Amino acid sequence: MLDIRRISNSRWWHKKKNWLLFAIFVFLVFVRISKGAIYKDFYYFISKPFWPGQFQKEILLESIDQEYLIKLNLLKKDNIRLRRILSLQESSNDNKISATVISRKAGSWWRQIILNKGSKDGVEIGNIVIGPGGLLGRVKNTSFFTSSVTLITAPESKIGVWVDRIQINGLLVGLGDDYPSLILYSKDADIKVGDFVSSSPASTLLPPNIPIGIVQSIDETLKTKKTAKISLLAKPHVIDWVQILKVDI
Amino acid sequence: MNKIFKKKLSLISFIFIPIIFLWHPNWLGFLGVQPYWPLFWLLPWSMINGSFNGLIFGLFLGLILDSLTLDDSFTQIPGLIFCGFLFGRIKLHSDILVGHFRYGLICSFGSFLCGTLYFLQILFRNFSDSNSLMFISSVKNILAEVFLTGFFAPFICSQLLRMFKFSRRKFY
Repeated sequence: MLDIRRISNSRWWHKKKNWLLFAIFVFLVFVRISKGAIYKDFYYFISKPFWPGQFQKEILLESIDQEYLIKLNLLKKDNIRLRRILSLQESSNDNKISATVISRKAGSWWRQIILNKGSKDGVEIGNIVIGPGGLLGRVKNTSFFTSSVTLITAPESKIGVWVDRIQINGLLVGLGDDYPSLILYSKDADIKVGDFVSSSPASTLLPPNIPIGIVQSIDETLKTKKTAKISLLAKPHVIDWVQILKVDI
Repeated sequence: MNKIFKKKLSLISFIFIPIIFLWHPNWLGFLGVQPYWPLFWLLPWSMINGSFNGLIFGLFLGLILDSLTLDDSFTQIPGLIFCGFLFGRIKLHSDILVGHFRYGLICSFGSFLCGTLYFLQILFRNFSDSNSLMFISSVKNILAEVFLTGFFAPFICSQLLRMFKFSRRKFY
């Protein structure tokens, strides 16, 4: 009886060491099949504290910002030089007046805002008002302390715009709702949803290249012209701070 | 000073109409549209002072409000004159509760009238463009304005009417 027990204890599968070796073997086979995925994931966690951190990210972002700023300035200078050569209208950054919206009618019959800067601050009729996103409207009326701005969504607003992708001029007409209508007097114009609309370089009322909006939908039912609904980039319902651009016409 | 204030309460409240019109509180709006504020003042004023006074002050209100808006081509004067005249023909109701709801209905009707007259001017001006999109937004404006004006009128008009009556009873 004792002999039998001794024999059974001497079998290889009764030894823990063997099982351990077997487990290591299976594990290594798994590692081999998975092409070292576990090792890589393990390395991911142990190397995490030594990754290029937030500090390096900030330095890189700052460098990228500086690079873009320099490029932007170079392009601006090029733009001004070329505009002078072509005798086109120029826009200047020197004549900007910051103002606050003190009255807002952006959702009814009357689409206008009133700003807290008036003729006292040098605001003149015809000045352009821009907000975060782009064009909002034009100054229609000034008092000593305030100026009233007709929004580009107002029914009486009509401005020349430029669709950059297809290089074509159009007319942006306010309809009294939040989406002004872009009218292209060419049935063949290849306008698409998502096209970017800015102020026209040929316009005598606005400085060129002010962002306005994006084409939201296109109506092709009319025979002689194409119309499109424009979603504005600057939202007059929520903007509280604006800039008034003085334009020399 | 206090006497003068009470006596001229109706005229002093008149000054606040353009201020509320300019203030345009967004949190009171519906679909971006506000109630037609001048009617809340014009209704009690005309009911107390009669059609002729209503007509005159409708004209005054129209002139002030037109000066605050930038649309040179369109005017609110015809609607307000008509409303001022109409409101003057309405007599006070003996039942207070019925009177309250009546203010809502009358102001809704007045707002519909003013909105329609304004819309007709826009339609007439842009007749050549015949833009259906403008038609849709205008109808939306009218309906939202009618709803809001009718909703707020019972609260505001009854209070103003009480104030105007009080100022007349005491000192005239």
